[in-house]
Amino acid sequence: MDQSEIDALLSGGGKAPKKPKASAKAPAVDAAATPVAPAPAAPAKSREAEKDGPQKDGRGHVISELDTVTSVTERESNKVMDQLDQISRLVSRQQRLITDMMSHEGTQSPGVQSAFHEVMVASKEIQDKVFESMDLMQFQDITRQKLERIVHHLRQIHDYIAELLGTGLKSDAERPSVSHTIAQTGTTPDENKAHADAVIQAFKSLKKE
Amino acid sequence: MKILIVDDSSTMRRIIINTLSRIGYTDVVEGENGKSGLEKLGQGGVEMIITDWNMPEMDGLEFVKTVRGQNPAIPILMVTTNAAKEDIVEALQAGVNNYVVKPFTPDTLKEKIESLLG
Repeated sequence: MDQSEIDALLSGGGKAPKKPKASAKAPAVDAAATPVAPAPAAPAKSREAEKDGPQKDGRGHVISELDTVTSVTERESNKVMDQLDQISRLVSRQQRLITDMMSHEGTQSPGVQSAFHEVMVASKEIQDKVFESMDLMQFQDITRQKLERIVHHLRQIHDYIAELLGTGLKSDAERPSVSHTIAQTGTTPDENKAHADAVIQAFKSLKKE
Repeated sequence: MKILIVDDSSTMRRIIINTLSRIGYTDVVEGENGKSGLEKLGQGGVEMIITDWNMPEMDGLEFVKTVRGQNPAIPILMVTTNAAKEDIVEALQAGVNNYVVKPFTPDTLKEKIESLLG
């Protein structure tokens, strides 16, 4: 088996990704200056990966395709976050308008005030649900890290076979930091909180002694 | 209070920023890895750090160790998917003050921040 066959095992002939992970990320922004940042445009890498990843003839590099998935899901998650931000702003605006209307002379009858109150309660519920939805978007980061772990294993297999055959051709640069315990991480918020808190507590107690 | 958030996921940074703004912290700066985190920290004014662990270029653990070499007092909260006991201990030994495993609830983040500042 030569290098091209090894590559074929993993790729079907596509190009390996060339850019480091950092380029897939949106540039950091100063949140104080832009409290609600719009979703970053498609990262350069994701556009490249989308172009270079799945081939028109149906073939695609496994690693490259996984890279594409992580880039695209991050970009699309940010679009969802943008929409949620937008809903949040609209609800806030609605609440301000109703608060203004509640103080107008013509809206002081108990029936009207009660109706306004109902709308305000409903608005608050919508706002809470929006925030809850934003928090649930953490699944994207966890899924991304799980995929990166798979990519890590694929690279190891690739390099192991390459070394066995003495081709000296290693896969592209490994990501510098990949979670070793991501397989145990679920998507339920705070499912590891009690465990982490217990470890912290034990560590601090030991330190005190 | 200015808080530095270091995470390579832009989605995750937004989630943390949203959570912080809901509990009254709106002065936030961002870094996408340890290296850019150090740059932001060097610009001054940061009073607390929230950092991820698994990041390219410079990971969170190296970042924490570097920060601790320069600033032993600044509160650091690590927010990561690494849930193993040995990971948590390693982070605490590196100088992290508290630790949150993703995914988290806003209440947990609030609780941890308040315990660090309290």
